[in-house]
Amino acid sequence: MKNVIKITTTLVCLVLLATPVFAGDINLFVAASLKEVINELSDSFAKKNPGVKFVKNYGASGQLAKQIENGAPSDIFISANLEWMDYLKNKKLADVASIGTFTYNSLVFAGTPGKASSMQDLIKLERIAIGSPKSVPAGEYATEAFKKASLDKQLEKKLVMAKDVRECLMYVERGEVDGAFVYRTDALLAKQAKILFTVPQELYPRVTYPAALTIAGRKNKDAATFFTYLQGDEAKSVLAKYGFATR
Amino acid sequence: MHLYMTSHKSFGSFSLSTDFTVSGDRIGIFGTSGSGKSTLVSMLAGLTDPDSGEILLNGDCLFSSAKRVNLRPEQRRIAMVFQQHCLFPHLNVRNNLLYGFKRCPSELRTIDIDTLVAVLKLDGLLDRGVTNLSGGEKQRVALGRAILANPRLLLMDEPLSALDDALRFQIIPYLKSVSEKFDIPYLFISHSLLEMRLMTDTVLAFEKGTMTGQTTSDQLARNRMGLSSVGYINLLELGRSAPISGLFAYPWGASQLLLSSGSEQNESMAELSSKDIILFKHHPEAISARNLLECSVRSLFNSGRKVGVVMDCAGNTLIAEVVQDAVDELGITPGCTIYAAIKASAFRMLPN
Amino acid sequence: MTPLSPTDYDAIRLSLQVAVAATLLSLPFGFAVAYLVTFVKFRGKVLLEVFINMPLTLPPVVVGYFLLLLLGKHGWLGNLLNEAGIRLIFTLKAAVIASAIVGFPLLVRSLRICMEGIDPQLISASRTLGARWYDTLLSVILPLSVPGLTAGSSLMFARSLGEFGATIIVAGNIPGVTQTIPLAIYEYASSPTSENMALTLCLVSVAISIVVLFLHEMMAKKMAQRS
Repeated sequence: MKNVIKITTTLVCLVLLATPVFAGDINLFVAASLKEVINELSDSFAKKNPGVKFVKNYGASGQLAKQIENGAPSDIFISANLEWMDYLKNKKLADVASIGTFTYNSLVFAGTPGKASSMQDLIKLERIAIGSPKSVPAGEYATEAFKKASLDKQLEKKLVMAKDVRECLMYVERGEVDGAFVYRTDALLAKQAKILFTVPQELYPRVTYPAALTIAGRKNKDAATFFTYLQGDEAKSVLAKYGFATR
Repeated sequence: MHLYMTSHKSFGSFSLSTDFTVSGDRIGIFGTSGSGKSTLVSMLAGLTDPDSGEILLNGDCLFSSAKRVNLRPEQRRIAMVFQQHCLFPHLNVRNNLLYGFKRCPSELRTIDIDTLVAVLKLDGLLDRGVTNLSGGEKQRVALGRAILANPRLLLMDEPLSALDDALRFQIIPYLKSVSEKFDIPYLFISHSLLEMRLMTDTVLAFEKGTMTGQTTSDQLARNRMGLSSVGYINLLELGRSAPISGLFAYPWGASQLLLSSGSEQNESMAELSSKDIILFKHHPEAISARNLLECSVRSLFNSGRKVGVVMDCAGNTLIAEVVQDAVDELGITPGCTIYAAIKASAFRMLPN
Repeated sequence: MTPLSPTDYDAIRLSLQVAVAATLLSLPFGFAVAYLVTFVKFRGKVLLEVFINMPLTLPPVVVGYFLLLLLGKHGWLGNLLNEAGIRLIFTLKAAVIASAIVGFPLLVRSLRICMEGIDPQLISASRTLGARWYDTLLSVILPLSVPGLTAGSSLMFARSLGEFGATIIVAGNIPGVTQTIPLAIYEYASSPTSENMALTLCLVSVAISIVVLFLHEMMAKKMAQRS
């Protein structure tokens, strides 16, 4: 029995200490859609700066913001929308001076080729996937676009709300829906689905990815260096490679 | 009832082989636990399939591996009374009783419910739930339920072993009278020699999965006398007692016995071990034992290292056990006269 | 506390609807499977048990994904249904099926524990009294399984109310159509402005769970008393 207690205590301690935070670490909290970009950039940065280690946390912007609010160790936060950045700013957790736009994305309609080529064509379709408007920014932008194009009433019954953009794409790939409103960058990663048309920019606000150092990250020299690197030319070319717009 | 059963069944290290033909209405299956009695019953009822063999009841084939016949339990019309009462807890007494009756084709229904309820004295209990009945009441309901299924054979698998002594002797008369009254033959399974003698005529004895003999219940008791620590149990049917100077005087056939315990009941039964009888060649002058009976020796038999002396006491039979040396010394031979001394405290009254 | 919106009332109604339908749908199957596993000897029993219990250990998302593969437009069952004009994916029916599969092991488990407690001699007795196997099933096993049925279905009902992972994949998250309480809470919680709304719905689901689990405990006690 004593041994069991000993072993259990040891295991618990190991688990608790499994992710210690060292001085050379940079903690990144990044919106999931930027996963590929940030992976590539952090790898190349780490090659040039040996000794720097990245701890990367990808997820929904809201989840990340909540985690930071609850004290998760973080140095840099890149959100997929302005709302959550404002949320952290208001909580005095983001370094106001550092807040800037990292990149832009655009909304497209992806689906099986031939199904639609403009917003008006959507009426002919049976089922359209969007992210849940309340929780997924891409879904929110899509519903705004429907309203502006005066299609909202006609499309209401055709909409399938998904948990996130990737789930939207999964439905498209499996043929469960005719198409989905997703970000260009996500659509480019899809295997079967193709971009059928880009949603005209005047129908929805621009998809902006703001980036900032957190209050804790301001004191982390490596983090600040990496933050500057993210605004450099190398970052811009990687972003372009994955379909993001930098201007 | 006529039963033919030749079968083989093995599971794990245990195997049971039967090969017998038996006729009669009161048949016993005797054996200690592990002798295969329960398996045998289970195969008869159709709850366990023999590996091979044939079972015929009154000429009807219940099971035959050669003919590929295997009647399902509900087709065999063999009802069972289990060691545990096994009453359906979700049904009341009436619906328990009627469970088999309702499922019996109407042309085969011969038993009148009211008569049965009266014989088993279940009148006031019909609307009660079965969970709060006493042990004896439960077993009576279980018996009634089996009888009402109008079976052609009743299997009683140790129906008394879960009951205490007093209850056991209360139930025995019901078991006997019900099967007699409604003319249903039974197979009575038990490890109690006493129950065998009270309930059955013909006995099949089993030991470790094989049948060791087919005999009468009394003969079985005699055979086992030398092996048993209690000897042979004489069962004495006694008349109405009268108290005499601190003892009870019971008429026993033409003679009278003095017992140290007893009660003023009409008729009762007493047990007397063959070991508690002392034999004298001549009339002893004065002895402390209160009963001294003049008997004539009818026969002698060997059982183990003991000799059983079968005596006639004024028309009643009594068996005493002695060693061979005593037989030689006393010169006990069939036909000779002998005196049997029994202490008043040696008798044990069976609960009535 | 923020008052509930019309879509919240829809979510509560849909949740109850899904849970009731999933439980009722599973009862006959659950009873049959528990009977098979408890009383019938057959080859591949272990396989069946593993298969039945799989949703208990698999992430619900995986169950949802398998269901999508099976019932989707190009799934082999979905294909057949599609030709018959039946569409399950993104409807409440899909939510019911997802809940039924995820909650099924709980129902079977409760029923099995109850059935294993039935004295096998009661079944033998019923057979020797002239009952065929299905007669025994209905007249002895079923009534004696009632505590297990109620305990199991209350547990399953509670599990269905909380089902999220499989539901959101096969039924989507469509307010007023397939959005149940957990889906609505998820949506609220991932938006910075509506956290209070999430809290109100959370309290509703806590209240329902407490009532259901309370009933479940009472049933379990009754079962323990009987044995």
